[in-house]
Amino acid sequence: MSQAGSYSPTEIVDRTRTWVRENFLYMRPDWKFGDDDPLLGSGVIDSIGVIELVEFLQSAFHVKVADDEIVEQNLGTLNAIGCFVNGKVPGNGTMPAGVPVDGVGKNTAGAGMLLRPRA
Amino acid sequence: MCGFAGVARREPNGVVPAVLQRMATAIRHRGPDGLGAMTDAQVGLAHARLSIIDLEGGAQPMGNSEGTLAVVYNGEIFNFPDLKDELAARGYTFQTRSDTEVLLHAYAEWGEAMLDRLNGQFAFVIYDRREKSLFLVRDRFGILPLYYAERGGDLYFGSEVKALFASGEVPRALDPAGLDEVFTFWAARPPRTPFQGVSALEPGCCARWQSGRLTFRRWYTLAFAAGAEAPGALQQLVDLMDSSVRRRLLADVPVGGYLSGGLDSSAVCALAARDSSAELRTFSVAFADPQFDESAHQQAVAEAVRSRHAVQHIGPADIARVFPEVIRHTETPLVRTAPAPLYLLSQLARQRGIKVVLSGEGADELFYGYDLFKEAVVREFCLRQPDSPTRPRLFDRLYPYLARGGARAGDFWRRFFLNAGSTSDPLFSHLPRFGLTSWIKEFYSAEFRAAVNGFDGLGELRDALPPAFSGWSTLQRAAYLEMVTLLSPYLLSSQGDRMAMAHGVEARVPYLDHRVFEFAAALPDRSKLRGLREKEILRRWAANVLPASAAQRVKQPYRAPDVPAFFEGEPPPYVAELLDESALKRGGIFDPAAARGLVRRCRTGQATGVREGQALVAILSTQLWQREFFETPVESGALRYESGRFVLAN
Repeated sequence: MSQAGSYSPTEIVDRTRTWVRENFLYMRPDWKFGDDDPLLGSGVIDSIGVIELVEFLQSAFHVKVADDEIVEQNLGTLNAIGCFVNGKVPGNGTMPAGVPVDGVGKNTAGAGMLLRPRA
Repeated sequence: MCGFAGVARREPNGVVPAVLQRMATAIRHRGPDGLGAMTDAQVGLAHARLSIIDLEGGAQPMGNSEGTLAVVYNGEIFNFPDLKDELAARGYTFQTRSDTEVLLHAYAEWGEAMLDRLNGQFAFVIYDRREKSLFLVRDRFGILPLYYAERGGDLYFGSEVKALFASGEVPRALDPAGLDEVFTFWAARPPRTPFQGVSALEPGCCARWQSGRLTFRRWYTLAFAAGAEAPGALQQLVDLMDSSVRRRLLADVPVGGYLSGGLDSSAVCALAARDSSAELRTFSVAFADPQFDESAHQQAVAEAVRSRHAVQHIGPADIARVFPEVIRHTETPLVRTAPAPLYLLSQLARQRGIKVVLSGEGADELFYGYDLFKEAVVREFCLRQPDSPTRPRLFDRLYPYLARGGARAGDFWRRFFLNAGSTSDPLFSHLPRFGLTSWIKEFYSAEFRAAVNGFDGLGELRDALPPAFSGWSTLQRAAYLEMVTLLSPYLLSSQGDRMAMAHGVEARVPYLDHRVFEFAAALPDRSKLRGLREKEILRRWAANVLPASAAQRVKQPYRAPDVPAFFEGEPPPYVAELLDESALKRGGIFDPAAARGLVRRCRTGQATGVREGQALVAILSTQLWQREFFETPVESGALRYESGRFVLAN
């Protein structure tokens, strides 16, 4: 368990992954969804969903997300989110946006395959 | 307008009256003013009449005096007085004042070539007794419906599918490919329907049935040309719209108007008010939810054109209340609830004694009114320089009414459009919509996914494009796709004919006078979309017809509440019953566990986006559709058959 205001990138990614699965992949629980898979390009989240995502991040990790930070570089993948939020959490060291964090989730499915029909 | 149905036997075994009785009764709502039938050894025809022209003399089925031809007909031929004069000059005599009789004589005189002379909205079947053949026809744009099914050389046809099923001889089964098209295009693409073995005659097509065989011919082709706007184009549009509206005021009953508050219907109502002999009655839908409501604009136009205006107020509970009836009439699952308010609007019109209304449908397709046209232009512009950071900001100007969240998610919002498809794809303009709608398929059950496996609705559409398509501009292609995928099978049907005829109201569409279409199709794109300003020439025309505020108003798409309609307040019991996991499992099309997640998000108010709203409406309407057409017997009706006429027993 983390103290309020202190979350590791792994914890951010894990909680966000769970939230994304519950709210955007509920209809396809068997989907393989990697931490570097694009959230938008693959159709997991639509533009309205991005707002839900931002609200979730703000509420779950006690951070503020400015409008000009809502870009693919920061929110495009789970790993990008982990890096972005980790850099904003008070007490955490600031990390450059969009850079994957070592040891946080591995890509297990190719980008863009999430909406393809099942074989 | 009316409804008709019939059966043709390959062998002269006859059609028992009880079969015709059931078929006519199933569509009695289309023609509450009278029922008629005729049978012989080969063919049975039945008709439910909505009396609009020649109230006394226009009963159907109607035969010619020689007894060689008979017709059942749904619709209006607006230039029938001219045709009647021409036929009279050629020696034909007329027993009635109806356009039905003109059809019969026109066929006798010109054969199939008669079709090119018709200005109107129609579906009809002519029985040629000499040739023992049937001639089935649907109008140029598919304003009116015509369905058919073949069984062992016998032919069943009717204005609605429920008439075919009521024969008791056409089996009921769903067509996975038809449903998959609904969840791609919003409607199955004719000739396909969501019912296996039941086809829709394509708009602009006719068919000949003879000796148990059906052959088809396209008699009208949507064609676009490119050229400069002629100096007299605006005056030509003035004359065409004057003529189109005047012709559509032709009726022996009062004609009213639907008033959305937008440019198209406002201008039509203004002309109708000017040319009507009596005070024009107008009708509008007003929503309790201000994001959908246009009542202030509607009221302003009603005052400007001095119509006697009536408003149908719609709250979320109203949509849920009538939705089962709506699906009974659309005969297809839906992805939007937008038809429901129009169902209530036609009820209001009918209650006020109006059974003919003019609507503004068609103008957005002809004059590039929809955002989809601008979207295609902007996407194409951006994809020419995909790395430009500024060009994608043009998308923000396209959908201000979706501002809820959209502005904050701008980067993602723009990328959705840029990633939606390549400019080299012939379906380029429509890929964002098709992609968004297809998200519904994520809810398919494994069994249904297997049933549609291998079906490629987009591929079939690409293969069906006319040879000229590749030579058209991006916008002309978009207009064509809009007309064949959405206008006819959804807007004119589920939102148009079906909702109006549910209460015996005929909707007439002046913009879909074929002369107006041909005029618009020959205009350069720039006359229709200038920069990001839609319907350019139509606005110039409307400036002389409407107050400036109405003529210059930016288009607001007609939408209705979806998720809140079924989850706010106390929804009707069917909502929970049909979304229950056991009911979904029984339906077999959607995965109960997947739907459970969606229902949870709907209940908690989290499902606020378009794609989840569409998925909910698709699942619920499919459940209603299955219950209506696969579990409920078609009503038998309290009718008896006497001397070639149905008589109401009560």
